[in-house]
Amino acid sequence: MIHPLEILLPKDLKEALALIAGGNADTHIIAGGTDVVTGLGQGLNRFKNIKTLVDINKIESLKGIRSSDKFISIGAAETLTGILENPTVKKELPLLAKSCSTIGSVQIRNRATIAGNFVNNAPCADTVPVLLVYDARIVIESLNSKREIGLNEFLSAPYKTQLKKNEIVTSINIPVAPIKYAGDFYKLGRRRALAISRITLALLLTMNGKTINDIRIASGAVTPIGKRFYELEKSVIGKTADDSMLKQLSIDLGKSILDAAGLRWSSEYKLPVVQQVFYQMLNQIISGKGDK
Amino acid sequence: MITLNFKLNGKHVSIEAEPYIRLIDLLRDQFNLTGTKEGCGVGECGACTVLMNKRAVNSCLVLAGQINGSEIETIESLADGKLLHPLQRNFLEQGAVQCGYCTPGMILSSYALLDQNPNPSEEEITEAIAGNLCRCTGYKQIVDAVKATAKELNSNKK
Repeated sequence: MIHPLEILLPKDLKEALALIAGGNADTHIIAGGTDVVTGLGQGLNRFKNIKTLVDINKIESLKGIRSSDKFISIGAAETLTGILENPTVKKELPLLAKSCSTIGSVQIRNRATIAGNFVNNAPCADTVPVLLVYDARIVIESLNSKREIGLNEFLSAPYKTQLKKNEIVTSINIPVAPIKYAGDFYKLGRRRALAISRITLALLLTMNGKTINDIRIASGAVTPIGKRFYELEKSVIGKTADDSMLKQLSIDLGKSILDAAGLRWSSEYKLPVVQQVFYQMLNQIISGKGDK
Repeated sequence: MITLNFKLNGKHVSIEAEPYIRLIDLLRDQFNLTGTKEGCGVGECGACTVLMNKRAVNSCLVLAGQINGSEIETIESLADGKLLHPLQRNFLEQGAVQCGYCTPGMILSSYALLDQNPNPSEEEITEAIAGNLCRCTGYKQIVDAVKATAKELNSNKK
């Protein structure tokens, strides 16, 4: 049973921001509701004291996908289905399309929104590693302010973000890369549909002949929060991508993940999986078989 | 209590309800549309699937206060009087109904698929019903029923 509460349906962003301007702890944003409604139904602590839900589904400016020569901008309340069906996303952000397609089921994707996937900063959010390798910027607005920060900065600690109670994530801006990257997204869950991810990896890569021109690596679920491996990336840029180097990079990624996550009961199984899978991803992308 | 105005199975309806009840409870308890079933209540089993603006959604994850102005269709809207919808008839003919609890959700997910994609591949069918659990059939008969319906609807168009 869901406890009594009111639901407000603002028609535009200004009205929504005015409703949360006081920063009340008993007011919560709801969009697709796939996280909020299950949480309310289960009486979870983080939803226990909520008296007002502000539904942002009627706000047109938070929907849709717009592109310019600099950015692809995704409305925060765009559904995962809307993203999957968008031709620009399919062409320019194939890893995002792939990660959205692995989330939940058709029913979930028809309601769940892109910002909803990461605003609670659950480690298993499938779009996070992908948005991290795409260098996604998060646009945050309150009644009197507007700021834009990188997703890596936005996700501060497990289940914590930079978002204040009087703010709404309004869009996700993904810079259009000046060069063409190849890449892939990998998800390991206990089954294909509706599974909570155990391991996710995202990888983007450009080559200059046989040397690595640029590389971006991120993980989710297996690390306490979605994480970019900037130092590891730097250590291999400009190096020749021969087999021994790719093996070493895969081993080092495993070590970096272990450093971030600490030794867990599952490390013995997850570590070799991460290393093997990452090695295969590298090989497939370099040989031209990965998603372009 | 608030007043909800929305379209239900093709008709405009207006009803007083608490905004925090779930769509599934509104449908079952206030409209007596008990074809919509509750399984898990957390969006994993798909037994409560309904169409919201032509898309399959879990009615256990939508709150009544969110549905104003939308179009909701339940399993009760498919048959034309006593004449079953081809999906319903093919589910019966292919043995895709055993205990029947998943069937309304399974049929509505299939209906939404065929609405968007009249010629789905087997993989597209299994993807469309991946959010609907069936513990009886093993799914083969269900996939066969959807395929048979697609074939039938397409040949009717010609």
